[in-house]
Amino acid sequence: MMRRFFASLLAGGLLAGVGAHAQDTLAPLRFQSDGVFGSIDLAAAQRGFAVYQGVCASCHGMKALHYRDLEALGLTPEQVAGIAAGVKLADGHAATPNSRFKQPPLVSRGGAVPPDLSSIVAQRSGGTHYIYDFLTGFGPAPAGVTLLTGHSYNGAFPGGQVAMPAVLHDNAVAYADGTKATTAQEAADVAEFLTWSADPNLSTRHAVGVRAVIFFAFLVIVAVLTKRRIWRERG
Amino acid sequence: MRVEAKQGWLASRVPGFTCVRDMLCESRSPGAPWLATLPTLLAAMLVLLLASGVVLAPFYDPRHAYAALQTIMRDVPGGWLVLSYHQIGASLAFALLYLHLFRILLVRGYRAPAEFGWMLWVKLLVVLLLAGWMGFVLNGGVGGHSSLFNAVNAAMLLPGIPGAVAMWVFGGASGGATLARLLVFHALLALCAAWIILMAFAADKKARPVLQGPGVPFWPIYAAQYFAALSVLALVFAVLLGFVPHWGQGTQNTIPAATAVIPAAISYPWYLTPAAGLAGAFPGVAGHICAMILAAALLYALPWLDRSRGARHGRVYMALTWLLGVDVLMLGLVTAFPMGGVLPKLLGLWFYFHFLVLTPLVTMMEAA
Amino acid sequence: MAESTAGPDAVPPEAGRRDFLKILAMAGGAVGVGSVVWPLLGALTPGAGGKAQARPIINVSDIAENSAKAVQWAGLPILIRRLTDQQIAVASVVAMADLPDPAEVSSRVAPGNRHFVVVVGLNTGIPCQLEGNSPTDPRGHYDGWVCPCDGSEYDVLGRVRSGPAKYNLAIPRFTFINNNQIQLG
Repeated sequence: MMRRFFASLLAGGLLAGVGAHAQDTLAPLRFQSDGVFGSIDLAAAQRGFAVYQGVCASCHGMKALHYRDLEALGLTPEQVAGIAAGVKLADGHAATPNSRFKQPPLVSRGGAVPPDLSSIVAQRSGGTHYIYDFLTGFGPAPAGVTLLTGHSYNGAFPGGQVAMPAVLHDNAVAYADGTKATTAQEAADVAEFLTWSADPNLSTRHAVGVRAVIFFAFLVIVAVLTKRRIWRERG
Repeated sequence: MRVEAKQGWLASRVPGFTCVRDMLCESRSPGAPWLATLPTLLAAMLVLLLASGVVLAPFYDPRHAYAALQTIMRDVPGGWLVLSYHQIGASLAFALLYLHLFRILLVRGYRAPAEFGWMLWVKLLVVLLLAGWMGFVLNGGVGGHSSLFNAVNAAMLLPGIPGAVAMWVFGGASGGATLARLLVFHALLALCAAWIILMAFAADKKARPVLQGPGVPFWPIYAAQYFAALSVLALVFAVLLGFVPHWGQGTQNTIPAATAVIPAAISYPWYLTPAAGLAGAFPGVAGHICAMILAAALLYALPWLDRSRGARHGRVYMALTWLLGVDVLMLGLVTAFPMGGVLPKLLGLWFYFHFLVLTPLVTMMEAA
Repeated sequence: MAESTAGPDAVPPEAGRRDFLKILAMAGGAVGVGSVVWPLLGALTPGAGGKAQARPIINVSDIAENSAKAVQWAGLPILIRRLTDQQIAVASVVAMADLPDPAEVSSRVAPGNRHFVVVVGLNTGIPCQLEGNSPTDPRGHYDGWVCPCDGSEYDVLGRVRSGPAKYNLAIPRFTFINNNQIQLG
């Protein structure tokens, strides 16, 4: 009886954990990185980097990242070196693949400091979907909402108004792969890119997890059979 | 045989070696339940924690804790995996220890002559709670930082030379110097835990009843059982590692402590929540400290709070012990998801009531 | 299959299957322990940060003609100079017989990027940091580097031309990863 109690306790804990993550799929948009078997959509993340570089980087830093880390998105070392060479760091020199992402000059919009985006998906509840909702959530303030000076209305942001203006618009960047750069597409791509940057090992972790679970499930069967056989014969 | 001669040579010179060898090779009573493997599984988790801790330590920097963890996760080859070993290893070590302690309570395994073993398991709990809290703080996130901030402030209030503990143990206001100290204590406590669990194994072995009739050898009978139990543990570990690596780890440590964010309520890892809940049962900082000490002392003194003097299990005792288990579980839940009201306090106070009043009363009545 | 390997009468089939199971369990256990321990060892090998330190990437696009850049690498001063066409022309007509340590121009410049000379800036006689890199330094009679300690002189390609030193300046291992950046090591 006790054995069954502990087993159900353990299973309950695991299911609760899985359930908490599975909620994400209820949102209107689906990301390849969603869910416990998700993996980073490299093409989307590459486009997302283009959006970051072209739009977000003027205010938001990503100080945990180096340009060389972009190779994990499927860029060749030559492409990465090219990207880095095109960035002029604060000391006036061009960046190398080993440089950290360029820190933008510290801007403060009425006391609000743009947060570093390296781990933003891990730091905000709702993660990838929140980033998408936030970036597409700008709009005219509904009647009865008085905006603070310099603030914009954003339905996804807690409190409804945010010091960041709406920055994404159609064709804010030109995608190298020919994808049509709509506002929603840009938001989704940047959300996938930030998902990768918050957890660069997401795809590997899930792949390792699947292999480890299959292997150890097999080992459990073998070990339990061995134990039962030995106990039946000698115990 | 040569091997035996060699073992004899070693055994006659290293007393501890005999102990370890006996633990492995002696005949045991047959048919031990699966749950009797819990201490071994716990030992395996402690070994994993030590090994992964040794690998993580060279990359850790107490003065740039958050950045060091980012480096471990992003730049160290397989660093994310080793960090997960450490985090999930801690989670499972606590799970196994809590289950083991609860099982001892249920079967009343704390009574003479096993009371010394029980006291060692309680010591292990205290040491692991301290080490676990330090690990939580060493993450360098907002959650750990505000918990440390509270701890340093509490230490300032301790009697004695004003702020002695705060100055000497914590190194003043919570910052890099404090984390550097905590890193050393964290490692020392890990070694203590390893020592305590070895002692507990030895004590439990001494307390086992003398074998009636022929026993069964460790190899292959119990080796097979331990191996099967370990592979189940590995499977659970793999599920957590691959798919829910941050389950129960607290949600605030993803934000660096440097940003001036003070959370309304600290989100502790799940294994610290019952202790945090117990501390909150008494008001004020001094109350929190006293509550923690009292809770540990009560567990420690349990062999003497039980007045049954070797009588058989009573139904009321069993029911109360299950109730205590539910109480501690609920206490963890209401600490993890704060709800206000009087329920958290009641749940905390029940723990003290259970050990201080109910245990002596019920066991005395049931023995009579 | 385990049964068929066991003898018909000598060993009951049960035993054969158990042995197979046991071997499988042990092998599985060994693989399991190995796969858990391997990442622990792997994490101790140098990571991206360590590799970046060991093989730094240097921008050379900002070096003007006839000027140079100095970087520290593995405790050594590395001098990178961009030559003018005229300097290369002058250096290529020097007779090998005039050189204490004869070396062709092609062996002293980067293949594919003939205008760049990358050398270790330590005198090969008395170990001493060379002068001639910054615009205000003396460059000696051969427009290259001079040693302030023993007076040895080197030409633009780092070949020794006079003085106690007998050997040319050492050339570190490096590659051009594109026209603007070189990687040392």
